[in-house]
Amino acid sequence: MSGLLSVCHLGPTPYREGLALQAALVRRRAAARDGAPGGAEATDWLLFPDHPPVLTVGRGGNERSLRVSRESLAARGVELFEVTRGGDMTWHGPGQLVGYPIVDLEPRGRDLHRYLRDLEEALILALERWGVPARRVPGRTGVWAGEEKIASLGIAVRHWVGYHGFALNVAPDLGFFELIHPCGLRGIHMTSVAARLGAATPPLGEARREVAGLLARRLGYEEIRWVPAEAVRNLASGIETSTAAHTTAHHAA
Amino acid sequence: MPISIVVPQLGESVAEGTVSKWLKQVGERVRKDEPLVEIQTDKINVELPSPAEGVLEAITVPEGTTVLVGTEIGVLGSTAADGASALVTAAAAAAPAPVAAVTAPAPAPAAPVHGAGAAPVGAPVAAAPPAGAPAGVPAGPEAEEDSARQGNLSPAVRKLMREHKVAMSEIAAIRGTGLAGRVSRDDLLEYLKGRARPPAATPAGPPRPAPAPPAPAAASAAALPGLAPAAPGGPAGPREELIPFSKVRKLIAENMLRAKHTAAHTHCFDEADLSAIVALRREWAPKLEAQGVRLTYMPFFIKAAVLALKEFPWVNGEVRGEVMVVKRYYNIGIAVGREEKGLIVPNLKDCDRKNLVQLAGEVNDLAARARAERLRPDEIAGGTFSITNAGVYGALNSAPVINVPEVAILGVHKIAERPVARGGQVVVRPMMNLAIGFDHRVVDGELAVKFLRRVCELLERPELLWFYA
Repeated sequence: MSGLLSVCHLGPTPYREGLALQAALVRRRAAARDGAPGGAEATDWLLFPDHPPVLTVGRGGNERSLRVSRESLAARGVELFEVTRGGDMTWHGPGQLVGYPIVDLEPRGRDLHRYLRDLEEALILALERWGVPARRVPGRTGVWAGEEKIASLGIAVRHWVGYHGFALNVAPDLGFFELIHPCGLRGIHMTSVAARLGAATPPLGEARREVAGLLARRLGYEEIRWVPAEAVRNLASGIETSTAAHTTAHHAA
Repeated sequence: MPISIVVPQLGESVAEGTVSKWLKQVGERVRKDEPLVEIQTDKINVELPSPAEGVLEAITVPEGTTVLVGTEIGVLGSTAADGASALVTAAAAAAPAPVAAVTAPAPAPAAPVHGAGAAPVGAPVAAAPPAGAPAGVPAGPEAEEDSARQGNLSPAVRKLMREHKVAMSEIAAIRGTGLAGRVSRDDLLEYLKGRARPPAATPAGPPRPAPAPPAPAAASAAALPGLAPAAPGGPAGPREELIPFSKVRKLIAENMLRAKHTAAHTHCFDEADLSAIVALRREWAPKLEAQGVRLTYMPFFIKAAVLALKEFPWVNGEVRGEVMVVKRYYNIGIAVGREEKGLIVPNLKDCDRKNLVQLAGEVNDLAARARAERLRPDEIAGGTFSITNAGVYGALNSAPVINVPEVAILGVHKIAERPVARGGQVVVRPMMNLAIGFDHRVVDGELAVKFLRRVCELLERPELLWFYA
């Protein structure tokens, strides 16, 4: 298993660009594993994009999860994407911590559920550190605070590399979830860290660092390396630059 | 040498996967390691890479179908592209039986396969397309254009089209109620209801000479579409048939036995005068129909059950070891019969927070998706109490089995006019028997009877729901 997790805060990222970045890094990750010529570095990734408000629907759902018309969405400037991840419909946008782990699942025995449970566990630990008791609900993937959902998960796998990931509601405008039946579940209420903690809510940057650390530990990485967004974008578009020069390496706490 | 494409082990705790999307069409070439098909399990969607270079010869499990790990979902041929289509037709037309036999455990073909090999091809019922059916094989000259237009249709609609042999020209004639006038699954179901008769079964092979006297077996199959050609007296094949348990059948069997072995099953019965509900439904069904909601009696039963459960919370519980869990949420399971596909009990979440119209819409949706095998796992898990309506098949009474770990189940039945005594007079009223099956370990007879009586009372006087719900 790769001991290195490269982490990047991408900053403002249109959803479409997020898809392209993931696709490029998935390709590189699989190529590195399979020893393809070109010699891409064998590192897993954790990308944190800041998406504008957007709705996405995975393979487990359809437009029936939409509660408003497409026209009304367009009027609000919210785009709807059909994507290849598992799961139904969800919303992403400001105030949410969206994370895309790009993880080679071969050395993990292709155990997809274990991977999913590990992601959930890292988010639960983070929430508990902030003082929000969180849990799993059997049969309903995601992280729940009481009877309300606080984080959603949806994974896609290509060439046995996992991508897409999780969305943790730190302090988003929960009103956006009124547009849909989140995850296709009727009568599900979404909540956020801010709804539980108010002023004590950690800033997004802090939440990001916390989640990155816990996730790295849970998934068994020895080292985290933060990479500047520019380097990731160059890498994805095929421009090789030495990422090492920009990195601040430290051990996963 | 054809290679079998199977659902791989996707994790220690993963027993099944749903075919979410075929990325290649039958007859299409695929390179080794090129993504071939997507499988979804839980919230993970996996692209399965092709195990070798070749041509996709057959799709044996269509999109939207859930199968066990290890089930064959398609066949990859190593042959060159030329002649592939001939091979496809041959394989698809001739192969179904052996293919199904090899992978017997999971999607045991729903339609009986006795009779000629051609029988399932045009059979209008074919619930789950039999393994080996030439799903996705373009049929006519318009095929290319059709498949492009099909891109606008959901997988569920396309599946229905295949099952019922609906042509794109028919779809074009349907007024869709979906987004941008798209034809939704419900639209198509509605259309199929009205479609007088499915096109006569035409075998996939060369056209038969018309005037020739048809072979007896073929004639009976064609004359009675949808009926198993088990003509009495005729040489109708073996007197016994061995049908391996499907996965669903195995699960049903396990659950039923667990229920009978763990719960101390006891039943009691009551009856209710449904005059008020019948009148309400008669008045409101057309109004709701106009809004696109079909109103059955089930939402009324759910409403009454939920209020009675609130008043007798112990009935809305679960036995967990030696602990009784009393639940303050009301996820009501609805038993849905699916003929040979087997019983399933999906549940409606948080019924106490929904009005009758919402319940009506969701009951219909849930039942339709249960029949179409489009339920999500969470819709089967997490129920707190169940209702089963044997009345839809005409039963006047029943003694239902508890959906463990729940502790009680309500049986509702046929509403039939019959004479009853009211104030010394014999009058005719729409009456219904109700039954409760309960776990006598934790629910005493007194409680069960009081609960059931309360349900009857709420159905007889629905205005009580105004006051107490």
